[in-house]
Amino acid sequence: MYAIDEFVGAIRHCLQCNFCLSACPIYREELVEAHAPRGRLNLVEATLVDQRVAPNEKVRRRLDRCLLCASCARVCPGGIPLDDVFLAARVELSRKPGTGLTERFVVRQVLNRRVTSSLLKRSLSLARRLGLAPSDIPRVASTSFTRRAPREAAPRGPTAARVAYFVGCGTEYLFPDTGEALLRVLPIHGIAVVVPEGQTCCGLPALALGDLDAAREAVEVFLAVFAALEVDAVVTDCTSCGHMLRQKAPRVLPPDDPRLKQLRGLTDKVFEVTEFLAGLGAQRKPPLLDVKVTYHVPCHRGWSEGVAAAPRRLLAQAAGVRWTEMREPESCCGAGGYFFLRHRNVAERIRRRKVEDVLATGADVVVTQCPACRYYLQQALADEDEPRVLHPVALLAGPEP
Amino acid sequence: MTGLVRDLAALVDPRRVWGDVEDLVAYTNDATHRRELPAAVVAPESVDEVAAVLRYANGRGIPVTPRGAGTGLAGGAVPAPGGLVLDLKRLNRILEIDDRNLTATVECGVVTGDFQREVEARGLFYPPDPQSLAVCTIGGNVATRAGGPRGVKYGTTKDYVLGLEAVLPDGSVISYGGKSVKMSAGYDLARVFTGSEGTLGVITKVTLRLLVLPPCRRVMVAAFPELDSAAEAVSALIARGAEPSMLEMLDRIAVASLQRYLPLGLPPELEAFLIIEVDGHPAKVEEDCALVAEVCREYGVHEVRVARDAAEAERILQARRALFPAAARAAPNLVIEDATVPRTQVPAMVRAIRRIAERHRVLISITGHIGDGNLHPGIIMDRRFPESVRRAEQAMAEIAREALNLGGTLSGEHGVGLLKAPFLEWEFGEAGVALMRRLKRAFDPHGIMNPGKILGGGMAGVRD
Repeated sequence: MYAIDEFVGAIRHCLQCNFCLSACPIYREELVEAHAPRGRLNLVEATLVDQRVAPNEKVRRRLDRCLLCASCARVCPGGIPLDDVFLAARVELSRKPGTGLTERFVVRQVLNRRVTSSLLKRSLSLARRLGLAPSDIPRVASTSFTRRAPREAAPRGPTAARVAYFVGCGTEYLFPDTGEALLRVLPIHGIAVVVPEGQTCCGLPALALGDLDAAREAVEVFLAVFAALEVDAVVTDCTSCGHMLRQKAPRVLPPDDPRLKQLRGLTDKVFEVTEFLAGLGAQRKPPLLDVKVTYHVPCHRGWSEGVAAAPRRLLAQAAGVRWTEMREPESCCGAGGYFFLRHRNVAERIRRRKVEDVLATGADVVVTQCPACRYYLQQALADEDEPRVLHPVALLAGPEP
Repeated sequence: MTGLVRDLAALVDPRRVWGDVEDLVAYTNDATHRRELPAAVVAPESVDEVAAVLRYANGRGIPVTPRGAGTGLAGGAVPAPGGLVLDLKRLNRILEIDDRNLTATVECGVVTGDFQREVEARGLFYPPDPQSLAVCTIGGNVATRAGGPRGVKYGTTKDYVLGLEAVLPDGSVISYGGKSVKMSAGYDLARVFTGSEGTLGVITKVTLRLLVLPPCRRVMVAAFPELDSAAEAVSALIARGAEPSMLEMLDRIAVASLQRYLPLGLPPELEAFLIIEVDGHPAKVEEDCALVAEVCREYGVHEVRVARDAAEAERILQARRALFPAAARAAPNLVIEDATVPRTQVPAMVRAIRRIAERHRVLISITGHIGDGNLHPGIIMDRRFPESVRRAEQAMAEIAREALNLGGTLSGEHGVGLLKAPFLEWEFGEAGVALMRRLKRAFDPHGIMNPGKILGGGMAGVRD
């Protein structure tokens, strides 16, 4: 339910060791403890648990300055789910009316409604003219993916598995090429794919805003659309959708919700597409390529063990791929969903580090399974001689037929 | 904006001064349970800025608490009420690594782990390894004489300080020592500042001694059915010249809390577990490994195992580093004791700790650097309940007294801070403490530097 009461025990259990300090990308840039995990946790405790400090706008702004990358939770030796605590705090703090109106509108009326690309484009340009949206928000693809994609793709040869494809907002509006590649790759490996109609957002953008109702609405749609399907797995090409569906979605419903069991059964079947392929043993080699590839590991990787290993397994051995690891493949790129639109300065500094690391490898292509990372990195690698950023399935699929 | 914040903003970039309570709550504490809200936080980027802030605070009698990463275990970085926190993490340049003189000069805010990586990339070695090394700073290490598992062979931070630069409360800057390995001139001001916990002035720059990186390292685990035999084995293997670079002991409670975090595959019904590392030239390491195994067997070890490869060794060391935080799963809060006794008194000390735990009805896990007699009893408590805190602090006091009875010291490597300030006289007597007070006054006549730490007073009964 993301009520702070659920997390009081976890907050009190923090030993204050501060080992999370070096894991936080924001702290790494700013060296300010108020913008580090322990500092944020203590702020949440002081405001929402002990109520020693008023939960005002200043508190909200500080907790908003967090990428929700979950790096702190990953290194916490005490196992405290810090990102969940911060999400719960955002839910509590956003109860105040009037907060984040524009963002709420986008989440509720666009992402949760899956409006068409053309409608979205028109409303964005209007919003820009009215000064409600920044001028550099991502360019939307001319046709949204599910408008032009087939409803299903039949496997070549005998059916190894049947999957439902959860199309995230990144593929829907920004990178339809990922979805197209996915629909080419899976059938080659004997996997039948359905693209269910009526699907919408995973709910993570809403949850990050603290808009629990909108997040719940998204999870309910996910359940209604996917629960009835007879499939072996639900695949997503987006690590953040997977992070939301696998780990956060069950917490969004009330603990006594009768649908919870069904939802858990469903979220257990959610896989990132390359992980799913690697798990099946993907015996078919990708087409012969001649590229130098490096891999940016998305921060939302903790929800399934194979997420970071799969692209390496599938691509590193592929003929013609010269695989090269960067110095810090796992460090954040600064995108943090839409964080980079709200905290440009610090996001750009985080990205600068990453871009230097990428360029030092001399790679032609950076692969990553997160559309936000892809978008944000590609913006900084815009020159022709700089590497392209792609989803790993795009390389597995080879050039378009 | 308060007057204090406005004044500070005239001395350093206003973006590095904080006075809002929403920011200050991040600076109320270190890794202990004591908390105090400062009046402001300021993060200087140069020695000049440190001097300007100190001069200002000194003129107005405002308390100043220097701060590294806030990972201390004695309350040394807990601010004084109404005081300033001087956050030194931005003074973080490695100024020089001199591989011909085997020295390095660094600013105080350099992260210990980063420094070690830099040094080791050049085949050099900086041994002190506090378990928070991924985040803690060299300045904080020097100010607390921080140690770590390698202390048994290599000593602690204090053994590597060749010289330092420090700012006194009146803003004057002193410099003592440098790259010379020998020095016999004047009072050793570097030693005085080392372990001063921010009570004399602010250490801004340190020149450290380096070693050459040992070419070979081996990690072993040994499980003993009884603690006494483990302790005797430890004394025996040091006496026979094994020279381990690490000799850690974990008791049953500690191993149980680690099992959940990182399974070590240790038989849980045994009493004592040793983690032993030997390093040096490959031939000597092989010899030492054989000697360690032989001695352990003589003293009735249940099982002794050498890590197969670097990865397994790192897993074992990682588990040791995770010990303190992993205890978070067992307890809401933890007071880590740091009492140190001569090596031969370890079994007596362990027995005393168990008696104390029983008497005060507290759960205490016993771990520590058994090779140098530096135990870390972990007293489990819940800071929400005053009764629980009282019992834990009482147990702590008795452990401290017991260590002194056995010929030991209050602190091996964490420092005195706030938590042990009330016990100082037990160790040094009235005259000793009086001299320390006079020394403090000579450096800091207005008493602005980290008041209440080491010498107590003012903050002795500080509220939780």
